[in-house]
Amino acid sequence: MPKEEIVEGVPLELQALTLDELARACAVEPEWVVQRVRRGILIGAEGTTVETLQFTSVDLGRARRLAQLERDFDADEDLAALVVDLCDEVRRLKTRLRAAGVA
Amino acid sequence: MEYKDYYATLGVAKTASEDEIKKAYRKLVRKYHPDVSKEADADARTKELNEAYGVLGDAEKRAAYDSLGSGQYRAGQEFHPPPDWGGGFEGGSAEDFFADLFAHVGRQRGGRSQSFRMRGEDIHAVLEIGLQDAYSGAQREISLGRERNLKVSIPQGVTAGQQLRLSGQGQPGMNGAEAGDLYLEIAFQADDRYRVEGRDVYERVAIPPWSAALGGEREVATPSGRVTVTVPPNSQGGRKLRLKGRGIPASGNSGTAGDLYLILEIFAPPADTPERRALYEQMQREMGG
Repeated sequence: MPKEEIVEGVPLELQALTLDELARACAVEPEWVVQRVRRGILIGAEGTTVETLQFTSVDLGRARRLAQLERDFDADEDLAALVVDLCDEVRRLKTRLRAAGVA
Repeated sequence: MEYKDYYATLGVAKTASEDEIKKAYRKLVRKYHPDVSKEADADARTKELNEAYGVLGDAEKRAAYDSLGSGQYRAGQEFHPPPDWGGGFEGGSAEDFFADLFAHVGRQRGGRSQSFRMRGEDIHAVLEIGLQDAYSGAQREISLGRERNLKVSIPQGVTAGQQLRLSGQGQPGMNGAEAGDLYLEIAFQADDRYRVEGRDVYERVAIPPWSAALGGEREVATPSGRVTVTVPPNSQGGRKLRLKGRGIPASGNSGTAGDLYLILEIFAPPADTPERRALYEQMQREMGG
């Protein structure tokens, strides 16, 4: 019989990630995150310096998609950010179309 | 357990070069990207492609995969792992086995040095829940490979896209290093009744023409239970009734609950009896149109 544990999932909005934790979760170096924060591609919150920023769900989801696009397509970081923004907009519009009964 | 042919998934030969594998992946992942593809199985295909490329695009994982006997098995064929694969796989699922592929690669890497310590990899997955689960919190059982099931406690107030962190529940570390973390991204199961934006929930409510014209109280089933709402007189279709704080609850002690918006839709009962038809004809005579 498989061993079963009960584990509480903690939303990142209640327990944000540090710079190092975000980098690890995205399988990138911390410097990769720092560069994208400095270029405004990633935002973070509550830190007084880039190194002390806190990252929540939106940052993790966005950073992982950016990293995958850059890795899989050898994409420039600004181009990857543009693709992620466009995909988000497509999803938002599709949701509204479904809600309106059009799609 | 069934064998998964990653080479077939990417449509390349087993002798394909790294460059050929990358090109094949890029072409297919663009074709099946869920945001642009019209294919019905785009989501599933994208997952398969990512899984295949995650292995074949990594030299060490590809070597470990090839050592399983990719020349001997076809996709879907009953798979028997080699005797030196750690044993104990009988009765396991394909998911168990392929999850352990990565652990096997880790053991290979760890074999370079007895003192080499490496933290376990983080695991990322999507967890689909119902909207009601976000209102009340829930528990879900997930499988993390053989002999390891987790019952995950999902707190009240989660929203779509939110990431739950389960510390130390990722891949085990090597030589005593700490385990990675498990991240679960929350997604809501499709439900035609509701549209969710952040913590605000939009629900369509069908009312007959006389309720719209005369107003009155109506009982409505909402994600947090049945409520009685007052429909204002002379309401038109599309009117929104806001129920403050009845959207997705706040998470923990921070933030505020969302609102529930009831969107009125007016439906006309069919004129399928002489009495109903007479009523509609009377309305037509007296109200015109």
